[in-house]
Amino acid sequence: MANRCILQIALLLSFSTISLSLSYKLLQAQQRSSSLACGELLKQLKGKPEYCLKDRMDFKFPEEIKQPQHFRKENAALVIQEMLQNILDIVRKNFSNTVWNETIVENLLVELHQQMDSLKTLLQEILEKKDITWEDTMIIPRLKGYYWRIRRHMKAKDNSICAWTVVQVELSRNFSFINRLTDYFQD
Amino acid sequence: MLGTAAAWAMLALLGPTALTLVAGASWGSPAASGGKSLKPPENVEVSIIDDDFTLKWNRRHESVRNVTFSADYITSEMDNWIKLPGCQHITGSKCSFSLLDINFYENITLRIRAEEENSTSSWYYVDSFIPFEKARLGPPEVHLEAEDKAIIIYFFRPGKKDDSSIWGMDTTGFSFSLVFWENSSQVEKQIKTNHYTYKIYNLSPETTYCLKAKARLLLQNRSGVCGPVYCINTTVEHKPPAPENVEVVTQNQSYVLKWDYEDRNVTFRAQWLYAFSKLIPGDNSDKWKQIPNCENVRTTYCVFPQNTFLKGSCVLRVQASDGNNTSFWSKEKNINTEMYYAIFPPDISVKSTSDSMRVFVTALKDPWNKFYPFIYEVIFWENTSNTERKIVAKEIDLTIPDLQPLRLYCVKARWHLLQDKWNKTSAFSAVVCEKTKPGASSTTWVVIGIFALLVIVICVVKILQRCLKYVFFPALKPPCSIDENFSEHSFGNLLLSTSEEQTEKCFIIENTQSVIIVEETDEIDEDCKKYDSQTSQDSGNYSNEDETLESQISEVLLQQEVLSPGPIS
Repeated sequence: MANRCILQIALLLSFSTISLSLSYKLLQAQQRSSSLACGELLKQLKGKPEYCLKDRMDFKFPEEIKQPQHFRKENAALVIQEMLQNILDIVRKNFSNTVWNETIVENLLVELHQQMDSLKTLLQEILEKKDITWEDTMIIPRLKGYYWRIRRHMKAKDNSICAWTVVQVELSRNFSFINRLTDYFQD
Repeated sequence: MLGTAAAWAMLALLGPTALTLVAGASWGSPAASGGKSLKPPENVEVSIIDDDFTLKWNRRHESVRNVTFSADYITSEMDNWIKLPGCQHITGSKCSFSLLDINFYENITLRIRAEEENSTSSWYYVDSFIPFEKARLGPPEVHLEAEDKAIIIYFFRPGKKDDSSIWGMDTTGFSFSLVFWENSSQVEKQIKTNHYTYKIYNLSPETTYCLKAKARLLLQNRSGVCGPVYCINTTVEHKPPAPENVEVVTQNQSYVLKWDYEDRNVTFRAQWLYAFSKLIPGDNSDKWKQIPNCENVRTTYCVFPQNTFLKGSCVLRVQASDGNNTSFWSKEKNINTEMYYAIFPPDISVKSTSDSMRVFVTALKDPWNKFYPFIYEVIFWENTSNTERKIVAKEIDLTIPDLQPLRLYCVKARWHLLQDKWNKTSAFSAVVCEKTKPGASSTTWVVIGIFALLVIVICVVKILQRCLKYVFFPALKPPCSIDENFSEHSFGNLLLSTSEEQTEKCFIIENTQSVIIVEETDEIDEDCKKYDSQTSQDSGNYSNEDETLESQISEVLLQQEVLSPGPIS
């Protein structure tokens, strides 16, 4: 009886692992395509890069995310979600602003929301299982500090066209970092 | 941690006066500053709940009345200590402070000292901390709005409402959990949402409902404390009632929005909203947009194009109006546009053998193949029977085994997406029928038959060849009389025999004047004549050589060879 129970548990575990790894594969594909779409949308936002060179700034993106060395896929998912949330929060501030084309901003928000939504279910599962090593999440404050600097810059520049142009370029880079992080979904 | 604090102090104190440096270095021991012995406070603690920062400490000079306390702070982005606002010249043992415009995600260090008239104690350095990490979540603020059969809850995240809040950058990361009950009953309902506006439906009119809520930051694994209980009464039943059972289906590249309503003397209108708006706090009632073709409709449905919303999640709602009054909005219908995207059926082609059939299915097209693993289902049946057989496969090329020869089989196929939330399936492809090839046994017979025929043909050809050879190229056999003469030699030897002997024979023929022999062996006679004319041993060799070539060489060839000087010399 006990043996059968163990067998069932083992089977269940192996199936859940399979299903989780499959969904990581699916997520990777979705995130990549979505990042691409977001990058394209950001490109369509007409900034004024040539006028805004003096406004360029190093917001100090955390190096350990820029050049990820070792990431567990669960933590990669967590970092991506944190990034998406912050990007959405920055972009939505422009929603009623006249600097950017409202339709493009709206599409960008839709895309970001979709991307966050697809990660959410998985993250809930991870967090319930306590699959996150919280020591590794010390990276989160550093990441938030980076977005804080972006926001401070926008505030300091009074949401000028140049401030938004700098942010637009910065966010485009964000999506390439997200893509790099999705590589860890394969492990 | 202590080391970090000290390091911070050293770093920060490089700028300010040397006096402070001395005080900093002598931290931990009562400093004699200004001649009097004043001790710094002890057991200093910082607590953060939302945007309320509190510094608490224990005084060491309870008897001394006029001792006050002041605190400074420094962050890793700053060069100098700054006076902590709200914590200057405090007579008590705690102070509330605010940190304006600082990065809550960087380390911050606090120091505090006792002050009395002109003297000050040494600094007490508080372990550096990241405010965001240290902060605890308070309860969310809740606003309620009642309808007759629903309650709308507006959540406000904990902390200050503006961006200067410590949670200012987590607005989209909040979720709320509710405990909800009818006042007169003890049955509680748990609700979780990450929307800032949430509506509870299916309630009774004129009833009191209560709830309490707490906030949660999922990614930070942080749960807040429960807020106070809020109660509200639902209104009297409203007329006209709100439409019910809102549903969306697709038809010919359009959406059909349907709902139920009893009274037919009303008009309806429907609105939509991108679901991301629900993640944004505040009133989003102005974000709702009119659905085209769904304004002032008298039917309980409306049809609108699929490109009304781009993609992603949307919320739809319907309202009825009888001319004077409008109903409350219906229950909101959440849809994900992806759910309604059609997958087109595959194209199939088949190739049959006698007992199997290969089915080729076109690959799944964009964008589905990019995201979802898929399988396809192939259904086949014999044309004359009704029993269908099903095969599920992953490859686009599969073989259906165990079929009967010379029967008509039909096949159709469709896609199944795996792992998408809606178990999406395509329609079936067109039916393709093909007859299987003749059976394996008859093929064998055909092969055997062909083989037998081939053998017969070969035999016939052989025989025919032999006959022809016999007629046109009979075998060389000397007449009996000559044979007798050569009786002492074997025939093989005759062929291989030297020309010397043959020339001798020729001479014999001439000398004996045996006319009969000459006449009978015409060819030999000719040969002999030539040997004669040549009258050389070598030429005899030649003639002999020709004979060993077996076939009867024509006159011309012979002459050519005779004339050719090559071998003779």
